[in-house]
Amino acid sequence: MTVRLDPRTKLYMIFVVSAVVMMSATNSLLWALRIVVTILPIAFLIMEKYYASALRFLILYVTALGITFTCLSEKSTGFFMAFLLGYCSIIVQFLPAMITAWYVLRTTKIDEFICVMQKMHMPDGITISLAVVMRFFPTIKEEYTSIRDAMKMREIMLGTGNVIKMVEYRIIPLMFSCVNIGDELSAAAITRGLGEKVKRTSVVELKMKVYDYLLVILFSVVLIVYVVFRNVK
Amino acid sequence: MQTIIDIKDATYKYKGARNNSLMGVSMQVKKGETILLCGASGSGKTTLIRLINGLIPHYYNGELQGSICVKEKDVSKTPLYNLAGTVGTVFQNPRSQFFSVDTDGEIVFGPENIGIAPKEILKRKDNIIEQMKLNKLMGRNLFELSGGQKQRIACASVAALLPEIILLDEPSSNLDLQSISELGKITRKWKEQGKTVIISEHRLWYVKDFVDRVIYMKDGVIANEWAGERFKKLGEKEIRKLKLRPLLLNEKFSNILCFKSGQKSFKRMEETDSIILKDFYFSYKRKPYIFRKKKFTQSDGEHLNLCVQNLAIPKGKIIGVIGSNGMGKSTFLRCICGLEKDCTGVIKTDGMVYKGRARIPVSYMVMQDVNHQLFTDSVKEEVLLSMKEKDEERCYCILESLGLLEYKDTHPMALSGGQKQRVAIASAVAAGASLLLFDEPTSGLDYSHMEKVGDLLKQLAAMGKTVLVSTHDPELIERCCEYLLCVNNGKVEYV
Repeated sequence: MTVRLDPRTKLYMIFVVSAVVMMSATNSLLWALRIVVTILPIAFLIMEKYYASALRFLILYVTALGITFTCLSEKSTGFFMAFLLGYCSIIVQFLPAMITAWYVLRTTKIDEFICVMQKMHMPDGITISLAVVMRFFPTIKEEYTSIRDAMKMREIMLGTGNVIKMVEYRIIPLMFSCVNIGDELSAAAITRGLGEKVKRTSVVELKMKVYDYLLVILFSVVLIVYVVFRNVK
Repeated sequence: MQTIIDIKDATYKYKGARNNSLMGVSMQVKKGETILLCGASGSGKTTLIRLINGLIPHYYNGELQGSICVKEKDVSKTPLYNLAGTVGTVFQNPRSQFFSVDTDGEIVFGPENIGIAPKEILKRKDNIIEQMKLNKLMGRNLFELSGGQKQRIACASVAALLPEIILLDEPSSNLDLQSISELGKITRKWKEQGKTVIISEHRLWYVKDFVDRVIYMKDGVIANEWAGERFKKLGEKEIRKLKLRPLLLNEKFSNILCFKSGQKSFKRMEETDSIILKDFYFSYKRKPYIFRKKKFTQSDGEHLNLCVQNLAIPKGKIIGVIGSNGMGKSTFLRCICGLEKDCTGVIKTDGMVYKGRARIPVSYMVMQDVNHQLFTDSVKEEVLLSMKEKDEERCYCILESLGLLEYKDTHPMALSGGQKQRVAIASAVAAGASLLLFDEPTSGLDYSHMEKVGDLLKQLAAMGKTVLVSTHDPELIERCCEYLLCVNNGKVEYV
């Protein structure tokens, strides 16, 4: 069964999960909810056939969770434990948000996204700039890979010299090519009518389905529980 | 016939530029005409295209004089989005003209922008898919398509706006021969549909048969003009004099490049002194081993993207590497210079055997986009960075031999494309690489720049370097390649 979520649900998921990761879980109910909101996006990733990344996220999260619960306590001391604690708590705390964001970015088409933003009456300026950012991720990745290859060929690698220089060597060509591509990209987009004053139409038809409503309710409950627990105490 | 584009005495200077890009250009285009713009790079072709689609003066800053009217509208007073349904443009770089990430979204992007009803858009989309035979490309990720496929989608997305005027700005620069003829067919169809088409192009062979008029630009002015029929009959000498690429594809090469017949007209391997590549196997579709990666062997057969059991490359020669896009040319080059870690091939040269990471210093690839491989803030630094022992004397020597000495303190990004290429070569020479690989060094270059690259390759060969150059450029092959390797489905053979 494939469940294609409505982009609005996805945006709401991001919102709730980001809020949840900012609040600490203090009892087992909160922990359980936190795990639920992490497992859900992983499940959706599997449904959208991103098996490898789902597995990777799952292993990372479960390991970190396991270590936090079994090995670490208030009594742990020593540098290694401190390091491990820091590392694991960052993962446990923030990975849910990362997974959700990754899932949404991978599975939302740009036109779906623009359509949603329009339905929510966002100003065009914001919509278009966010859409460009989404379009740019794969480009940055492509460019970065080529630059990394070029550095490999010249045997300039991290750890062989000045770290700041190494970063500089990566960032500067990346910036140059991104600026160039961005410039050409916007020229191409405006010759095709981007920025037109008339209302933009969309061939994407958005419809909230049953599972969308269910998810929205579920995430709302999670959010409410977290907020209540935080403020009741 | 009605005049659809009317440019009167246009002079244009880009902001910050020293010279005018256009000087007093006037031209009229009739409805339904097909026009070819040719001339060297920097002669003002692109600027002229930008005048017509309105990017000048609305997007690029500069000083404009004169008037440009498109369909009786003054371009400088018409907002760009009002021109969108009238003028469509296919740009040079397939990588940077997409707004969507998927093919379907890209085709409907334009019509959506100008507010056409969704039903009508879908109807247009289906029409275009049928006309251009794009069925196989639908529902795909644009980042996974080849240059030729991307360019076809770009054409489709422009056509979806149903513009009366279509401009193409060097659309064939990054394409292989088959994709170029494909592009030619699309343009010809547009002409038949009665659209006004203006093509700016270096490669003349695929457009010469159907253009009505040819405009030759030089230093910002229209230097000459022919009717299409007259232009077709220009002799080789005249074309050469104009510094244009030839009108006809050299048949021998085009046959080889298109794999029409197994002509073996090039020199066969006979030299004894050679670099041997052994057991280069590689596949992108990795078999699902979670803990240990699989070593590729010949037995993987069909799954291999590269399969080279034993290949001898003559030393100190220039070897062309040809093959259609997606056949594995780039993979071949990447594996040789050690960029694909999982390819465990061995390079044997001068009685030495190089394995694994040791292969990296032996070879050096000059990438298609050289911007990716220039890191420092001056040319001198760039060359010194490649040297294990910093030796300024040697650095100057290398710069001198490549004609770069006067730029030694310039920032590499401030140089022209050709100069950047030479800086990349200088750093390769400095690193002591004996095998130099070039990934399509002449894509998008005009004839005289192509000649320069050819001469440079010869110079490198004369210095004792072995040069492998992957290319779609028959003129470059004719000019400098002594041997020709053909990559077909990962198999590499001499032709």
